[in-house]
Amino acid sequence: MEKIRVSFNLNNEDVTIETFPNKRVVDMLREDFGCTSVKEGCGEGECGACTVIRNGEPVTSCTMLAGQVAGDRIVTLEGLSKNGELDILQKTFMEAGAVQCGFCTPGMILSAKALLMKNPHPTREEIRRALSGNLCRCTGYTKIIKAVEMAIEE
Amino acid sequence: MSDRDFTVIGQSVIRKEALSKVLGEAKFAADYKFDGMLYGGVFRSTVPHAAIKRFDASKALALPGVACVLTAKDIPGKNKTGIIIKDEPCLVDDKVRRVGDAIALVAADTPERVHEALDLMEIEYDLLEPIFTIERALEEDSPKIHGTTNIHAKKHLECGDVDAAFAKCDVIVENTYSTQMLSHMFIEPDAGVATYKDKIITVYASTQNPHYDRSDVAGVLGLPSNRVRIVQVTTGGGFGGKLDISVQCHIALLAYHIGKPVKMVRSRTESTIVSAKRHPMTMRAKTGATKDGKIQAVEVFMTGDTGAYASYGPAVITRAVVHCMGPYEVPNVRVDAVFVYTNNPMSGAMRGFGVPQAAYCHEGQMNAIAKELKMDPIELRLLNAHRIGTTIATGQVLTDSVGFKETLLAAAAKAKEVM
Repeated sequence: MEKIRVSFNLNNEDVTIETFPNKRVVDMLREDFGCTSVKEGCGEGECGACTVIRNGEPVTSCTMLAGQVAGDRIVTLEGLSKNGELDILQKTFMEAGAVQCGFCTPGMILSAKALLMKNPHPTREEIRRALSGNLCRCTGYTKIIKAVEMAIEE
Repeated sequence: MSDRDFTVIGQSVIRKEALSKVLGEAKFAADYKFDGMLYGGVFRSTVPHAAIKRFDASKALALPGVACVLTAKDIPGKNKTGIIIKDEPCLVDDKVRRVGDAIALVAADTPERVHEALDLMEIEYDLLEPIFTIERALEEDSPKIHGTTNIHAKKHLECGDVDAAFAKCDVIVENTYSTQMLSHMFIEPDAGVATYKDKIITVYASTQNPHYDRSDVAGVLGLPSNRVRIVQVTTGGGFGGKLDISVQCHIALLAYHIGKPVKMVRSRTESTIVSAKRHPMTMRAKTGATKDGKIQAVEVFMTGDTGAYASYGPAVITRAVVHCMGPYEVPNVRVDAVFVYTNNPMSGAMRGFGVPQAAYCHEGQMNAIAKELKMDPIELRLLNAHRIGTTIATGQVLTDSVGFKETLLAAAAKAKEVM
């Protein structure tokens, strides 16, 4: 198999990589760029643990191949805090007790971030819908929704 | 000092590792990397009950990048693991007992190569009759999964004079309850990395049970405990499902043989097939009460499917038996339980250890009694509720922290708000 050349923007930095066309974006981010916040929970787009923000939209990186992100802007959890300053969602997730085992947390925060980027004042129903593609097995979701509501208030 | 003067107790505190988790810096097992690290995979059975007629890994071994293929004969120590009863082989030796039994291990330079190697392995089975039901498992002529009986555990609990008490009851209800197998679906599939350096095996694993893992790894490798280290790394949920051995012995065995670090990350499918499940149980219950609403006697016969291996079955059966009267005072009790081996997925620990199954039974029986007596179901429960001073069927006296009545009243008030 021949390698392909893919250029995209990762966490505000332009990057280029030679990779196999059948490489999944989740593997490329984790293995080639060291973005291990991107988690694989199911490998079939069901659990949302591998969510990244692609051009402002949350997507599951386990169901995308490397070539599909050419020219895109990709944000992982590593790119959310700026100069050591936490994003408001990172703060409220901690304060609300929305983090337990932490495996769903990166995808959950990024789905919430993508929502707030488009809609800074979502209703509870809109939050629930935006997070419906991210599974959490520990919290029961209540505190996650509360964390997003706390972020809206601030 | 008032109750509220503590700095931690009673306060809402931010968990210690929350910051590393919201930053994405917390390292889970699959995030670990070591120089020269190889990847491991497991060749698993696709049939539930069989002897292995032929296994051939020569094509896999010929693949460039494949470091080794290991089978049961490569185990230097004991080929037995298990949390309470050591009945699960690290790699199949005599026969396959469930779909997903581990038959061979492979280590290779990339995860892709591991999959390629697994696809090249060949196997032929001599199929045995699979046992999927408790009824068939208990029949005399059924094939035996371990040893000479499929009965894994039996328990009997009795207090008072059950038959005499039933004779004096005004109402008696009899029902049968069945619960299904459940998977924990911890969000992080099982994973780990093992290293072998300076004659020490170190396993970094997603686990709930590092101390038990240590004895199983030491046993399989035939090493003394002081040469085995288990490091529980950040673990993505378990709920009981990561109490059993998952990848630990396999990666340790591979690392021990090739002297290089080996990582193994299960796919969701592999994790779901192999990890323990909640015991499916059937409970035949008879409950009697006098017309004042006092429960006088309970009799339960329960069966549970522990699957191919015991796992936490011996603990689950005990809890299910002890708790099957629920939080109610019952002076006369007779409970019999039988757990059996089948060729179904292994059942083990899952939040509650058999108590949630029993709850379906005792709560169903309370509703049935309330209906017979035309009593309010909450009133009936309050009338029979455990309190401080209650003696339960095992003879234990409840001396403090009996919050059932308050909990029930609070739940009833909340239910009125929403219903």
